[in-house]
Amino acid sequence: MIRTLLFIIGGVVLGLIIHLIVVLALPLASEENNWTRISELDALNKPQVLEVPSSFSPNPFRLDPTFITAVCRLSLETGPGVVSGILPDTFWSVAVFDSTNRAVYGTTNRSGLGQSLQLGVFNPPQTRLLAQRELEITEGLLIVESNLDDIYVVVRLQMPLPELEKRYHDALAGLTCTNAPMRTTEVPVTPPGGMTENGAPIPFERIAR
Amino acid sequence: MRDLINLLLAILVAVGVGFGLSYYALDRGVIVGARQVGPWVTWPSAGTPTPDPYTRAYLARTPELVLNVAEGIAFTAHTDSAGEPFSGNCTYRLDGSTPQAAFWTLYAINAAGEIITPADRATHLLSTQLVREDDNSAIVRVSAHMAPGNWLEIAPADTFSLVLTLYDAAEFAGLGKTDTIMPEITREACQ
Repeated sequence: MIRTLLFIIGGVVLGLIIHLIVVLALPLASEENNWTRISELDALNKPQVLEVPSSFSPNPFRLDPTFITAVCRLSLETGPGVVSGILPDTFWSVAVFDSTNRAVYGTTNRSGLGQSLQLGVFNPPQTRLLAQRELEITEGLLIVESNLDDIYVVVRLQMPLPELEKRYHDALAGLTCTNAPMRTTEVPVTPPGGMTENGAPIPFERIAR
Repeated sequence: MRDLINLLLAILVAVGVGFGLSYYALDRGVIVGARQVGPWVTWPSAGTPTPDPYTRAYLARTPELVLNVAEGIAFTAHTDSAGEPFSGNCTYRLDGSTPQAAFWTLYAINAAGEIITPADRATHLLSTQLVREDDNSAIVRVSAHMAPGNWLEIAPADTFSLVLTLYDAAEFAGLGKTDTIMPEITREACQ
């Protein structure tokens, strides 16, 4: 009897270990998650407006029917990601997630952004260049750092009336979602025994990474 | 022979506990990671940069395009406050407070995540459009049958879930109090 009890206790302990393994391994083993489903959309470097859920229609992203939502996918390998545009005068929010579906950044227009969305997403090397003032950026750009290069951006617009859907759809579809070329300013090495012609550093542009 | 039976029993217990506990934890989130306030369940760290391992496992499974914590937070109720699963034949009354937020939305979904309001009817209720009492409180009724006041009409269904989403919710952005109060859900008449 005691032997059987010991086996059962052993089974419970083993079960707890299995449970921990399942919980820890699930994010790595998952073949269908938000990142993979957004990757299947035609949303690389352009906004894809998702269908507003209506009665008994498929709602694959479990969206709130009060909102119209756009997603766009970016790879920061070729340069910082920029999402910009003018949005209607309603409640809106923007969120950045990486390819592991971790939230990177989020905000709403109530934080003082008004109608203008100007978001720049940088990876750590790009952020370093930014900190060293070796990277030119647009004034007023919200600067966000992502540790991973593959990201997706979600923009949500609240629709006070269903009749506004078409107008809000157009506003979201008109967003710019692209990679900005890395315009870096560098001081060229001065040739031995002399300076540049006018003695000032010559700025030049290059595409980094 | 007896040891073999014991070993099989141990394996059975291990598999049952291991996978059963995982399913229970991630499906309803009642062990670790999720936060339950009455019948309302949410995953508060789902929209943060550092989700806990249980929330990461939840994120790997859920089809929901989760909100960043700065945008808001969604609560789901599968039962009323008495713990009874929702029935499409009954009327439910929601009353009480919500945490501080710019506004909230309420809608009903089925197991497939589809909105279950009848066609050509409002798919949701918006907190800013509710009829309120003198003390600014609002009572909401969810029913397939006409109900007085703020009525979220649903199509006849066996069962359903309610989703209440708070937008720009300071409490969950770490700016407010931690004692969360959510509306009570009371079952009224059933037909």
